[in-house]
Amino acid sequence: MNRRPRPDPWLLLLLAMTIGPVVVALGFMLVYSVGGIGLLSSGWTLRYWGEALHDGETWASLGYSFAIGLASLALALGLALGLQAALGPQLRRGPLRSLLFVPLAIPALVAALVSVELFGNAGLLARLARAAGWIDMPNDFPSLLFTASGSGIVLTHVLLVGPFLLLLLDRLARHERVDELAWVARSLGASRWQAWRRVTLPVLLRAGMPTLSVYFIVLVGAFEVPLLVGAPYPQMVSVLVQRKFSQFDLASKPQAYVIGSVYALLAMALLMALFAWCGRRGISGDAR
Amino acid sequence: MRRLLAMLLGAALLLPLALLLLLSVSRQWTWPVLWPDRWQLRLWHDLLSDTAGIASAVARSLLMAIGVGLLATALGFPTSRRLARHRRRGRLLALIHLPYALSPVVLAVGLLFVFLKWHLAGHMAGVMLAQLIFAYAYAVILLSGFWNPRTDALVDLARTLGADGRQVWWRVLLPMALPMLTVCLFQTFLISWFDYPLALLIGSGQVQTLTIRLFEYFSSGDIRLAASCALLLMAPPLLALLVNHRLLSSAAAPHLETLDD
Repeated sequence: MNRRPRPDPWLLLLLAMTIGPVVVALGFMLVYSVGGIGLLSSGWTLRYWGEALHDGETWASLGYSFAIGLASLALALGLALGLQAALGPQLRRGPLRSLLFVPLAIPALVAALVSVELFGNAGLLARLARAAGWIDMPNDFPSLLFTASGSGIVLTHVLLVGPFLLLLLDRLARHERVDELAWVARSLGASRWQAWRRVTLPVLLRAGMPTLSVYFIVLVGAFEVPLLVGAPYPQMVSVLVQRKFSQFDLASKPQAYVIGSVYALLAMALLMALFAWCGRRGISGDAR
Repeated sequence: MRRLLAMLLGAALLLPLALLLLLSVSRQWTWPVLWPDRWQLRLWHDLLSDTAGIASAVARSLLMAIGVGLLATALGFPTSRRLARHRRRGRLLALIHLPYALSPVVLAVGLLFVFLKWHLAGHMAGVMLAQLIFAYAYAVILLSGFWNPRTDALVDLARTLGADGRQVWWRVLLPMALPMLTVCLFQTFLISWFDYPLALLIGSGQVQTLTIRLFEYFSSGDIRLAASCALLLMAPPLLALLVNHRLLSSAAAPHLETLDD
């Protein structure tokens, strides 16, 4: 007799605790957004989807979130790569070895608070600019926070994520023996720049791709930083969903669910595509 | 040049901490001076004597974070073993990243009706359960790096020498995994300790964690009290850093945790 193997209880628990909530949340948001349930539900309808998808704020928020996520990651990665290339083994010596871990103790809420006190119009940088004689009044200092360009969000994210990426690159460099590879390239006649651009950089980016993919999606869905240092318009998608969900007007709830569903489907598809891409290229990491 | 850059980087890394410390002990810091005009320790005195009710928020957050950390690690260890042996390990590992793709806010907004139905919304247990979704996934991702051919070889060796299943767990696997379990416990502790969106939405304003208090002070413009709360929030990871920086290092890349051994 052919017996089917019994499902593993631990794996069932894992799926129930991780994939289960995702399926339930997405299912609920989809059903609510087409009028299947809800206090104001008067039958199945695509009205809320029509309203939300025709609302410029929805697309502005989604585009803005992905753009901010990409800009934050690109800048943080650029900073981390630059520091890793400039400092190399120095990162593992002396007090810097421990100090590099200090930013890992800073949660997003605290990073936003520090940003306000650093980059705000009356913040430390503005005070230093005043002491240097470059400005007279707080308003003379360029607005970095609460701007529609998202400069404050990007700056805060770079401060928050940059040190993480620097540590990641340092660990990857050791694991992938990047120094030895670069040394071989140089002994074969490559210049220092060529060895970095043709050997070190591709090896680090390739090995770090799965982690960078996760960081990107996490940055796109960021909440605390855009809530505290972002502009009222456009808002990043998590802030917009929370705002629409918490409004007294019950009619805005289905719209929150529409935006949440669109974002969730996009983010999940993108993350899975990035992992699949890494898998096809045989890149090791958490998505093998 | 390299030395100078290292010194500048070191100073930049310490700047946020120094700024928060200054804010928390400043009484007056008027524009455009670079240094507080007047100092005080009243805020810290109030915090420690719980005049502002922060000590209870700290205790609540600690209790939740310890609970989430213990549960996630205890569940994550055996689960990661089953996952490591599964033929679709890669796909499963990719799939358990999905809660992170959804973002805590979107997930909380979508799940709130379940928590309301189960009478968990507005309760500590509800917030902990929501945090466990992320912490459990993280624990499994982190601990899956423990199961490698070397671990298998040691288990086989122990069995060959006569150890039964229980002895293999208690005498071989747990002692071997202890450093990694400690890292996992601490990191999952931090997932709960640092959480704001889940405490806000699932807690529905009823679960006053330290992050909720920090946000309240920040948005009401009480920057000094917010800075003090921020320092309290940073205290456990900073203490851990003093003890062993490896407790924090896995946050950068959980799946690389075994590489530096």
